[in-house]
Amino acid sequence: MTLQSTVDGLLVLVLLLDLAMLGASRLMTCVRLFALQSFVLALLPACAELLHGERPGTHAIFIGVAAIVLKVGVIPWLVARIIRTGEVHREVEPFIGFTTSMVLGALLIVGSFVFAGRLPETSHPFSSNLVPVALSTLFVGLLILVSRMKAVTQVIGYLVLENGIYLVGLLLVRQTPLLVELGILLDVFVGVFIMAIVVYRIREEFDHMDTHLLDELKETQG
Amino acid sequence: MLLILLAAVPGAFALICLALPGERLRQAVLVLGTLANLALVVVSWVKPPPALGVYLALDPIGHLFMSLAAVLFLATAVFFIGYHQRRLVSERIFLACFLALLATFNLVFVSSHLGVLWVALESASLAATPLIYFRLGARALEATWKFILMNSVGIALALLGIFCVALSASRIEPQVVLTVAGLGARGAELDDTWLRAGFLLTLVGFGTKMGLAPMHGWKPDTYGEAPPPVAALMAGAMTLAAFLGLLRIFQICSYAGLEEFAGGWFIVFGLLSIATAAIFVINNPDYRRLLAYTSVEHMGVMTLAVGLGTLGAYSCFLHGLHNTLNKGMLFFLAGYLWRMYGSKQIKDVRGVIHKHPLAGVLLMAALCASSGFPPFGMFFSELGILFAAAREGAWWTLALFSVTMCIVFIGVLTAMLPVVFGEPSSMPEGPDTKLLIRGEWRKKVMLAPVVCLAILALGLGAYQPPAVKRALDDAAKALFPGRAPAPTETRR
Repeated sequence: MTLQSTVDGLLVLVLLLDLAMLGASRLMTCVRLFALQSFVLALLPACAELLHGERPGTHAIFIGVAAIVLKVGVIPWLVARIIRTGEVHREVEPFIGFTTSMVLGALLIVGSFVFAGRLPETSHPFSSNLVPVALSTLFVGLLILVSRMKAVTQVIGYLVLENGIYLVGLLLVRQTPLLVELGILLDVFVGVFIMAIVVYRIREEFDHMDTHLLDELKETQG
Repeated sequence: MLLILLAAVPGAFALICLALPGERLRQAVLVLGTLANLALVVVSWVKPPPALGVYLALDPIGHLFMSLAAVLFLATAVFFIGYHQRRLVSERIFLACFLALLATFNLVFVSSHLGVLWVALESASLAATPLIYFRLGARALEATWKFILMNSVGIALALLGIFCVALSASRIEPQVVLTVAGLGARGAELDDTWLRAGFLLTLVGFGTKMGLAPMHGWKPDTYGEAPPPVAALMAGAMTLAAFLGLLRIFQICSYAGLEEFAGGWFIVFGLLSIATAAIFVINNPDYRRLLAYTSVEHMGVMTLAVGLGTLGAYSCFLHGLHNTLNKGMLFFLAGYLWRMYGSKQIKDVRGVIHKHPLAGVLLMAALCASSGFPPFGMFFSELGILFAAAREGAWWTLALFSVTMCIVFIGVLTAMLPVVFGEPSSMPEGPDTKLLIRGEWRKKVMLAPVVCLAILALGLGAYQPPAVKRALDDAAKALFPGRAPAPTETRR
C-alpha cells in the first residue's frame, strides 16, 4: 500500500466517521467517534510531509502531538465527564430523525465534492480529496449543531466543525506559524472548557441539558 | 517593545487582580490597570512604536480603535465601582476577565498577522463569557450560552475565511506571510475565487461577533442580560475589534482590486442591519434590548459606510468614534436606571428628569447623540454617508439608508422620551428592589464617567481638533491601500 493510498484511506475514514456521528444514538458513542476522528486528523500533517518526500519536521510533529493531547485526550474526557455525571437520558435526542439526518449528511457530502471540484486548485494539495472531505466535515458539524437539542451535542457539533476547519488548515501547514496554530488549538480547548462549565450550570439550573427550553429571551412586542 | 507592553500590562494587572485579597484593593487595581493602559496609548501617539516582526504593528486604524477602547475601559472601570455592590459570581474572576478582555482587545488592535488577530479575537470572546454570566440565574445563563455558541461558530467560520484568504496566495512563490502588507504586496497575483470565498466567510464570521444582521441573534439577549458595564464594553469596544478583522480582509481585497465586490457586500449587510434594528426597536418594551438594537443599527451604519469610498470611510471612523462614546453613556445610564428603578421595562421607568435631574439630562443628551442630532458627531458622520452615497451615485442605498434611519430614530425616541419626560412612576414593588443602590456616593461615581463621556462627545462633535481629524483621515486612507493616494475631502 502506497503512502498516497494510506492518506486517501484516512480521509475516507474521516468521512465515514462523520456519517457515523450523525447516526449515533448514544452521546458517549458520539464522543468516542469524535476522539477517533481527531486522532486520524492528528496523523495527517506528518503524513503530508512524508508524501512530499520529506521527513516530518518538528512543526508537524509538534502540532500532531498537541492535537492528540487536547482533542483525543482532554476534550473528549471533559465532555464524557459532563455526560456521565448526572445526565439521566444519555441519548442524543435529535430534532430530526437519525435516518433523515444521515440522508441529509450524505447529500451534504455529495454537495461538498461537487462544490470542491469547482474551486481553483491550490499548491501542494497532498490529496485531491482533502478539500471535499474538509467541507463535508464542516457541514456535518453544522448539521449536528443545528439539529440536536442537547447542549452537549451542540458542543460536539462545534468540535466537528472545528475539525473540518483544521483539515482546510492542513493545506497551509507551511504558511501558518507554529505559534499561531498552537494559539488556535488552545483557544478551541479553552472555548470547550468554558462551554462545559456553562453546560454544567444549565443542568443545575434547569435539571436538563436541552437547549430548546432556553427560549425565555425573545422579543415581546408590547 | 511598546506593542508588547500594550497587551502585557493589562494582562499583568489581570493576574494581580487574581492574586490580591480584598474587594476594594482589586477595584483599585482595575482602575489603575485601565489608567496605565490609557497612559501607554498616549505614549504610542507621542512616539509611534516600530513594528515587531511580522506579527505586531500599529497602523492608523488599529491605533484609532485602540485609543477609543482605552477611553471606554477607563470610564467603565470607574462606573463599575459605583455600580457593583453585591457579590454574585466571584468578583475576583470578573475583574481579572475585565482586564484580560482589555489585553486581548489591544492584541487585536496591534496584530498585523491574520492568525494572531484571530487568536486574540477568539480569546476576547472567551474572556467576555464569564462577564456576561455575572448576574447568575436562568436568564443570564441562556444569554451566556447563546453568546458563546454563536460567537464560537462565527469565529470558527472567520478562521475558515482567513484560511481561504491564505489559500488565495498558496500558488505564489516564495511563500507570502499572512499579513495585510505581505498579501497586499502580491495583490494582483492573489486567486480571485479563494479571496472572494474568504471575504464572505470572514464577513459572516466577524459579522456575527460585531452583531450584523442576520447574525445578530445573540446581541439583544446578551446586552439585555449582561451587567450594563459589560454591555457597554461589548457595544463600544468588542464591536470595534471584530470590525477591525473585517477591515483587514477588506484591505487585502482592495489590494487585489476586489474593492467593489467587497464594498457591495458591506452595503448589503449594512442596510440589512439598519432595517432589522428598525423593525425591532418599534415597541420594544425593554430599554436594554432597545439599546442593543441601536448597536446593531450603528454597526450597520459603519459597515455600510465603508462600501461608499473614501468619504464613506472617513464617516465610518467618525461614526465609530462617537459610537464608542455614546454606547458608553447609554449603557452606563441604563445601569444607573436599573439601580434606581430595579426594572428593565420601559413602562416602569418614567420621568427620570423629575426624580434624577442630572441623569435625565444626560440620558436626553445620550439619546440625541445616538440619534444623530447636531452638534453631536453622529449627525456629521451620517451626513457624510449621505454625501458619499450621492457622490457614488448609489441612490437606492441613499434612499433605503434614509428611510430605515428615520424609522430607528422615531422608534428610539417614542420609546425613550417618556422615560425622560413622562409622569414619574411609583417605585415598582417586588423582589427586584433589593437591586437598588445603597449609598449616595454610588450615584456620583456612576454619573461621573457619563458626564466625562458626554463632554467628550459634545466637544468632539462641536469642534474637531486637528489631531483627531488627522487620525480619522489617516485611518480612512489606510482602508484603501490599493488605490492611488487621492486628496481627501475636508468637510468641516
